Amino acid sequence: MKSALQISNDQKISSSLFFFVVTAAQIGVGIHGFQRVVVKNAGNDAWISVILASLFAHIVVFIMIRTLALYPSNDLYGIHLDIFGKYFGGILNFTYVLYCTFAFYSVIRNYIEVINTWVFPNLSQSFIAAALLILVIYAFTGGLRVLVGVCFFSFMTGLWILIILFMPLEYAHYNHILPILGNDLKSIFKGAYSMTFTIVGFEIINTLYPFAKEKKKVQKYVHLALLFTLFIYLSVILVSLVYFSEAQIERTLWATLTLFTVIKLPFIERVEIIIICFWMIIILPNLCLFSWAAYRGVKRFKSINETTFIWIFSIFIFFANIPIQTRTEIDQMNNFFAKIAFYIVFIYPFLLYIMASLKSVLRKGGSKE
Amino acid sequence: MKKIKVLIVLLLSCLFIIGCANQRILERIGLVTLVGYDVAEENKVTATSVIRQINPELQSKVEVQSETESTSKGTRVKVDMKTSKKLAAGQMRVLLFGEDLAKKGIEEAIHTTMMNNEISTSIYLAVVKGSSKSLLEYPYKDVTDVGQHIYNLIDHNIKQQHTVSSTLHEVVRDNYSEVRNFALPILHKKGEFIEIDGVAFFSHGKMVGSLPAGDNFYILMMQDNFKESTLELVLDGESIDASKFQEKQLQIAVDSVKTKRSIKVVDPELNEFDLNIDFKCRLLEINSLVPINDPKLVEKMEKAVNQKIENEVSRILEYSQEINSDIYGFGEQYRAHVRGGKLTDQKWREKFREMKVNINVDVEIIRNGVFE
Repeated sequence: MKSALQISNDQKISSSLFFFVVTAAQIGVGIHGFQRVVVKNAGNDAWISVILASLFAHIVVFIMIRTLALYPSNDLYGIHLDIFGKYFGGILNFTYVLYCTFAFYSVIRNYIEVINTWVFPNLSQSFIAAALLILVIYAFTGGLRVLVGVCFFSFMTGLWILIILFMPLEYAHYNHILPILGNDLKSIFKGAYSMTFTIVGFEIINTLYPFAKEKKKVQKYVHLALLFTLFIYLSVILVSLVYFSEAQIERTLWATLTLFTVIKLPFIERVEIIIICFWMIIILPNLCLFSWAAYRGVKRFKSINETTFIWIFSIFIFFANIPIQTRTEIDQMNNFFAKIAFYIVFIYPFLLYIMASLKSVLRKGGSKE
Repeated sequence: MKKIKVLIVLLLSCLFIIGCANQRILERIGLVTLVGYDVAEENKVTATSVIRQINPELQSKVEVQSETESTSKGTRVKVDMKTSKKLAAGQMRVLLFGEDLAKKGIEEAIHTTMMNNEISTSIYLAVVKGSSKSLLEYPYKDVTDVGQHIYNLIDHNIKQQHTVSSTLHEVVRDNYSEVRNFALPILHKKGEFIEIDGVAFFSHGKMVGSLPAGDNFYILMMQDNFKESTLELVLDGESIDASKFQEKQLQIAVDSVKTKRSIKVVDPELNEFDLNIDFKCRLLEINSLVPINDPKLVEKMEKAVNQKIENEVSRILEYSQEINSDIYGFGEQYRAHVRGGKLTDQKWREKFREMKVNINVDVEIIRNGVFE
């Protein structure tokens, strides 16, 4: 297997850090307004959809790690090359790189839209994009260990938002949640499907797995991370359900942010403005990890320096930001991304696992003879 | 090393440029603290804004400006032309509606307010008896900032549970909900004062009726639990002690009222509900002739209070059924506990009008004062 990675020990990261990486990669811009789409489909049972979506994510992660564990030290790109050969594997690698780029782009575009709507209506988009990209370049050039550090700090510094999240319960009407399972199963599954955009991010383990120090422990931490994000999403959706009326959620674009507007702290009246600005720290790991995942793929095609890559990548993203301007375009883009993400993150790993295990069985058979 | 220096310079410049993005210097803006909307001719609205201007040298000034235009943003532009400072709506605390506009419908005004991200959802809404313009433009003797005054007036009354809670969020929630309506407090100018003068009932964004301030207590009791409140009652003297209080009315006051309200769907087919109110209080004022240490008498009195509250509650409930405005959450409870079939707006309106409610009030006088 010539595609295997040679990773020296000082490049590796501790397995427990996977918890922070996966949590940070999952929580991004989707959480601002996922209630709307989920409630549209699943009504007041939206919280069941959230649990279901997380359950699927657990299964997918399980399969992903089983696939990765078939190889001693290889990431998704290497597995592609090994199973499908240079050309078809190359095409798949290219698709995955495109997916990571699209994810990066979608995060940055949505965040700029939120900033423009809530905080600075007149601030130029290119300016915000440039500011964010410079930050990403700065973190990225530090290497993987710095990126993981960014994830850790983003996680730790973001925890206070959880306390604020429960303050709107003052206005809660708890009977909004009843009757449980009043909607049919189909609509609940549809609701779970519409969680895709919000819940993806854990696929980062596809590329990060070979960098773990103790590979056997990775699975435990990734599942823990998924449980933690489930806890966050579930709290958000439950608070939203009892706080808003159903038709109101369907009309609210960023329900989580609207939730925060009712809170008045003695020292600050508009918490949501602070939270939106602070969110930059929360999306930074998103951006860093997706660009890093794209870099790992590009490296398989052409050996390229990290710094050169991130500059080219950032300039590309910067210009790609210009054509999409209106809200409708952003919505369309999000829907399109969610569709692609569903196939790549939720369906494809099963196929890959079947192929990879077939291949390993064949290989074992071959070596016996 | 050189690279890091370049990056640091870039980052720092970002930091400083972001600080310049959108300046809002307090001395250079006028803070709109209150806006009142009234009906004007030809589908236009009159917006009256109370603008507070901060001046570092002199005392801050409060200005009331009024303009008529077809959209609320249009009125803002017009008002902008009249003021020396740029207007900012981020500090808005109260939104008032003239009675005529309220009867015509305030749905559009609410929608516009919700679309604006500048305005927090914790602002209060209220209806003004007469026009909001005349309420705001009157030069009150003791009030320097009418915007702040009205905000404080509504705020402390809502916090003390003296009037219905009417934050923008609650109004929007109930307005878009198919099974619930909302209510707003009514403000009224009485001589030199502004007072809360009752509750306005809404249905589909239109004001459909009102009840006087004296009924606030019962309305709130049906809407929510009381943590602490005070109630004054006039009881029929005969029901307590026929020999002493014949043909006389007995005035009592209770405070530290704690209530627990629960709505139960008894029979969805027959459209029957139970409204149970658990009422605990402290006796504060009573005629000195009444021997309140007599347990039998206390029991009698509890019964009389019970009867009185039940009567008031059923009267108010009948009124709201008549005007078809469910501000208490019967519909929500119905939807939560009856499975099958979406409860649509139309269906619930018919049901609400005809529903039967069994009111059970359980009054308990826990203690009286320090002197018998």
